[in-house]
Amino acid sequence: MNEERIKTFASEVSELRVNGARGDRERVLLGAGVTLLVAGVALAVVGGLRASSANGLGNQIALLATGSFIGFALVGAGAALFVRYSIARFLRYWLVRLVHEHRTETDRIVHAIESLGRPEVGRPDADPATMSDAR
Amino acid sequence: MTGVSAYDDHTPILELRSVRAAYDGGIEVLHGIDLQVHRGQVVALLGPNGAGKTTTIRVASGLMRPTGGFLKVAGHDVTGVSASSLARLGVRTVPEGRGVFPNLTVRENLRIATFTGCGLSDIEERAYTRFPRLAERRGQLAGTMSGGEQQMLALARGLATDPVVLLLDELSMGLAPIVVGQLYEQVAAIAAEGVSVLVVEQFVRTVMSVADWTVLLAQGTVRNAGPTADFDDEVLANAYLGSS
Repeated sequence: MNEERIKTFASEVSELRVNGARGDRERVLLGAGVTLLVAGVALAVVGGLRASSANGLGNQIALLATGSFIGFALVGAGAALFVRYSIARFLRYWLVRLVHEHRTETDRIVHAIESLGRPEVGRPDADPATMSDAR
Repeated sequence: MTGVSAYDDHTPILELRSVRAAYDGGIEVLHGIDLQVHRGQVVALLGPNGAGKTTTIRVASGLMRPTGGFLKVAGHDVTGVSASSLARLGVRTVPEGRGVFPNLTVRENLRIATFTGCGLSDIEERAYTRFPRLAERRGQLAGTMSGGEQQMLALARGLATDPVVLLLDELSMGLAPIVVGQLYEQVAAIAAEGVSVLVVEQFVRTVMSVADWTVLLAQGTVRNAGPTADFDDEVLANAYLGSS
């Protein structure tokens, strides 16, 4: 490895953006999504209830705008965050499982192919000489 | 960022300083690990099961964030940098077990290494030069090759894109001792070219035959570290069997 490669490596490492070891960003955003979802639903319900008991159309619209509509917006944002990060987790898990299953399946096939070449031990017509040759 | 490098010839290429790490549920498995790997050095990380060897490799590769301490690469603090970013720069990991995709051919497995920006033809040339047997198997499904050939492929993929640091986790797993010996000859050759190697291994004698420096872990702490020549049977027995 030449000096140039080491220098390039050291320079590129120094330009990396370091996030620090504080928590898992994905988990934080997933939690934020759930919080926004719950807060949004609560705000929408409270806004709706207060609007229904308010006098006058103007007051009702104002309460709906500050309560329910903002609540719905929060629900939308929270749901988007939740779906984005929970799907990422699920897909990652699914990919690992798929790779694991492929690996197991391939092992099974290879084992079956290898066992085809071996004579069955204890079979009446199995010739011991042939058995040792087969190995 | 200024892009100014903190690296000089005396700076370790890879350094773990007071690293603590815990799994979900808060179970701490590393209790302040200190470890350095210099340029072209092979460092063997040894210890009994549960000592924290694989966790140390996971922290060093960026796969796991430490709960305390620092990970430094070429003198620069990279704690918290993603494994993919470190891999793209040249910190490559060959994971425990067979680190290949069994349902892809040898060539397709090598193609995966093109994420670093290297062309497939360059990668194939380097891989087949180092491991000629892979050239004969280039169209074969990786899962149908022998365990030794699969490890060759994993190693070749790690090496084909000009790494600076190579992290090897249990290269010998499930392999015959003669194959393990052949693989470690390649590891020694790789280090001679200037690549820094941190290796976790259960074949203690084999890995110590190529390692310049040995670190013994026990229960998540460094029990002993020094030049490999200083590690005699008694020291190893103490670490593995827990005798005084």
